[in-house]
Amino acid sequence: MTGIVRATGLMKRYDKTIAVAGLDLDVAQGEIFGLVGPNGAGKTTTLRILATLLVPDRGDAEIAGASVRRNPNDVRRVLGYMPDSFGVYDDMKVWEYLDFFARCYGIPADRRRRMIGDLLELVDLGSKRDVYVQGLSRGMQQRLCLAHTLVHDPLVLLLDEPASGLDPRARVELRELLRELRNLGKTIIVSSHILPELEELCTSVAIIDRGQVLAHGRVAEIERRLRVGAVLRVRVLGDGGEHDDARAWFSAQPDVVTADLLDDGTIEIGFHGDDEGSARLLAHAIGADLRVASYARAASDLEELFLQVTAPDPVPAEASA
Amino acid sequence: MSTPVAATGGSRRRFGAIRDVGSGMAAVGVKELRGRMRGKRAFVILTLYLLLVAGFAWMIESLAERSYSGGFSSAFSASSEIGRQMFMAIVFLLTLVTLILAPASTAGAISMEREKQTMDLLAVTPISSLAIVLGKLLSALSWILLLLLASIPVVALVFTFGGVSPDDVVRAYVVLLATAFAFGAIGVFVSALVRRTQAATVINLVVVIFLTAGTAFIFIFWTAMAGNSGFLPDQQVRLGENPVQALTRRPPEALMWFDPFVAQLDVMCGTETGFGGTCQVIAGVTNQNAAFQGDVQGEFGVKRDSYWPRSVAAMVIGALILIVLSVQLVSPTRRWRIRVPRPRRRPAGGEG
Repeated sequence: MTGIVRATGLMKRYDKTIAVAGLDLDVAQGEIFGLVGPNGAGKTTTLRILATLLVPDRGDAEIAGASVRRNPNDVRRVLGYMPDSFGVYDDMKVWEYLDFFARCYGIPADRRRRMIGDLLELVDLGSKRDVYVQGLSRGMQQRLCLAHTLVHDPLVLLLDEPASGLDPRARVELRELLRELRNLGKTIIVSSHILPELEELCTSVAIIDRGQVLAHGRVAEIERRLRVGAVLRVRVLGDGGEHDDARAWFSAQPDVVTADLLDDGTIEIGFHGDDEGSARLLAHAIGADLRVASYARAASDLEELFLQVTAPDPVPAEASA
Repeated sequence: MSTPVAATGGSRRRFGAIRDVGSGMAAVGVKELRGRMRGKRAFVILTLYLLLVAGFAWMIESLAERSYSGGFSSAFSASSEIGRQMFMAIVFLLTLVTLILAPASTAGAISMEREKQTMDLLAVTPISSLAIVLGKLLSALSWILLLLLASIPVVALVFTFGGVSPDDVVRAYVVLLATAFAFGAIGVFVSALVRRTQAATVINLVVVIFLTAGTAFIFIFWTAMAGNSGFLPDQQVRLGENPVQALTRRPPEALMWFDPFVAQLDVMCGTETGFGGTCQVIAGVTNQNAAFQGDVQGEFGVKRDSYWPRSVAAMVIGALILIVLSVQLVSPTRRWRIRVPRPRRRPAGGEG
């Protein structure tokens, strides 16, 4: 079964810089798909190609069966796109803003009125209907911009760094909103460099760097495939000497790749084993009379994945192009 | 394989495309007009503008009346002279207002969308670039049209003095509308070309000055350098002259086509039965033998409507060309690119 969004061999070059170098994607319907990569990896260029704002130099992409090259207008009808840095028409009222975009999609007047009310409720701006857009907070503007991508009930949403510039509360709200949209059957492609958030949210991710997909699939799958270990954080009670001893003890254990003592007394362990191995390591540590106060996997597996995948060997400049 | 687009007949498709452009224009137009007409601003401007036009008409009327009150001419001809002067003054004022407002109200049309980073939001909707450009231009023009229509009652005051007929007023308004269209299109084009609205506004102003004062200066300078007597048409027929010599001996009339003041002078000339001061200018520009210096050969006087229709046609065609270019500049993907083939170090590689 092929996905609702498919890209094959996408390539885009700006003068001498290759932004996207033979990128393939396959996103199944109903997924929240994360596009992860460092700055300049080609995330935005990829999304802009999918959004029909850029024509790829080579390759093609299809959204719901329509080619971004040959039928950009058909793509636009099934697509909602929120750019990385977006503006809003600040001299408009909130309802006028949505009304304008609904008109752009040729939605008739009676449907427009009902739909604007529904959308404003969905993004929790129902009470701001007659407020000028310039009077909204950044988070509210972000939600309004998200609402505008939904006026034509698209199948696919492309969100470029939707959480950037938002405070933690607004981020949580955005995450909830995206989950709700997924429940409504939307396929969402979201790019971000805030990895922990994507990890919680996304059903699949593609890690891209230098214009190529380095890893693609479910987070756990990628982890298994790459056999990437975890980062363990261990806090041991005692003074500096005891901390040093504990670090030396950990570094001597099997499956431990690195063991570093941080300034706050925490020992950060690069561990190359699975959950079983990590439980065994804890049991041994306690057996060795280390006074372990806390023992936890580091917050983001995706972050580790990302660092491991994107770090070392350089990608050939024009690979697969 | 699962392309949902049904194959449709060619004509249905075409009508669909026209309908899409229409609804897109309506969407953009409504948005623009909402912004433009919001609050008291638009109505304050309209009121001030009407006061300006009416006050100006009053001033011209009292000045003209004073200058004719002690003259020899009969009351009848003095009245029609006052009417003509008022008409000319008001039409020139309206032309000036249009020349300033048309490009000014379109200067931010596209550049503002780029500055506010809203262009991408617009470009991913199915709305076409043509609809964006036309929607922006026509909403700006409808505002100017409102100003022009509002001025009609003031212009109609000249009928109480005589000397000007209703069809002269229609002619003047046709030229005004063409002026608004052309200079509005210039504004949109510059706005699509330049990234910043501020720069677009300045460039528009420079273009307006060039197309009016600049071309007039070039025309006079060219005429003087070519040994002719300023705006006066040639007195001698030069035989044995080839077309290039004929062209360079005097500046081409086309130089002045985008100067709406000259077109309005031709409209004024129509009220002067071919011999007044404005007709002399038109005779000079169009190189007609107006025979106002006692030379009664051939055509007598300046023919009516001999210049302004060409000027209007040129402005409309120029505007249409600029609209097409603006659409190309606005379109994110369908832009015509002039690709300069770069010389390769190695002869034709295998790359496609």
